[in-house]
Amino acid sequence: MDILGVMNIGYSALKAQTTRVNVISSNLANMETTRTPEGGPYQRKSVIFTSSSRGFAQELENSTRQQAEGVEVQRIVSQQGAGKMVYDPGHPDANAEGYVEKPDISLVEEMTDLMKAKGSYEANVTSIKAAQRMAIKALEIGR
Amino acid sequence: MTANGIFDSTTQVLDKALDLRSRKLEVISANIANAETPGYARLRMDFEEALKESVSQTGSGSGTGQRTTHPRHMTTGGGGAIQEVRGHFYRQMDQNGIGDNNNVSLEREMVDLSENQIRYEAGIRMLGKKFNMLKLVIQERV
Repeated sequence: MDILGVMNIGYSALKAQTTRVNVISSNLANMETTRTPEGGPYQRKSVIFTSSSRGFAQELENSTRQQAEGVEVQRIVSQQGAGKMVYDPGHPDANAEGYVEKPDISLVEEMTDLMKAKGSYEANVTSIKAAQRMAIKALEIGR
Repeated sequence: MTANGIFDSTTQVLDKALDLRSRKLEVISANIANAETPGYARLRMDFEEALKESVSQTGSGSGTGQRTTHPRHMTTGGGGAIQEVRGHFYRQMDQNGIGDNNNVSLEREMVDLSENQIRYEAGIRMLGKKFNMLKLVIQERV
């Protein structure tokens, strides 16, 4: 089931990239957030990708050949550490010196990441389309 | 599918080639999916040589003797009967030691993807012609 295998691999990547875009938009939306349920300013989040693990049965079946793997989000990590201090005495969360701790999120960094996620997503759509096209061509044999 | 009967060895080779091409697509799409996974080593698949070898062996009538041409070959990697060709899988490790140890180049994979697809479609077309010829000769009417 090679064609379906490609579809599954492509789908795993689309899912992973979608999670990544969700995390990026969360970071962008919370660039100015100074209060969170956990206390303190919002912490920048990022995704960690890993090749997807396979079940034992599949592993056994494919033990004689190296197997193509999909991708998945292993976990979403919060960046630890202090945010950047901005002088704003009128802010309700300002400290005694008039500084507010804001999330340390760079707009440029997030936008670059967003573009990369978009590029990866498109590349995977291309591979799914290739599989689809090959399957359709195979149906034309003997026509 | 055996070589006797109405299906000759060309059909057999085309059949196997299409099989391997669709397997190769899986390998390429896995590389594309893992293009940003830290520590992922690009998976590669070569089968052209093994297929060529098995075709020339079958052609000269030396049968299904298997042999390995590379120390890392699996026993079914090269030579032997056409149906036994599995292709040679290997991972190319990242050598430069900088970054996240991922050595997938999206451009490279895209080129491989389209090459693979074109060759697959060429195979389909040839197989179609082969079958059309068979159809032609088994028709009763002139």
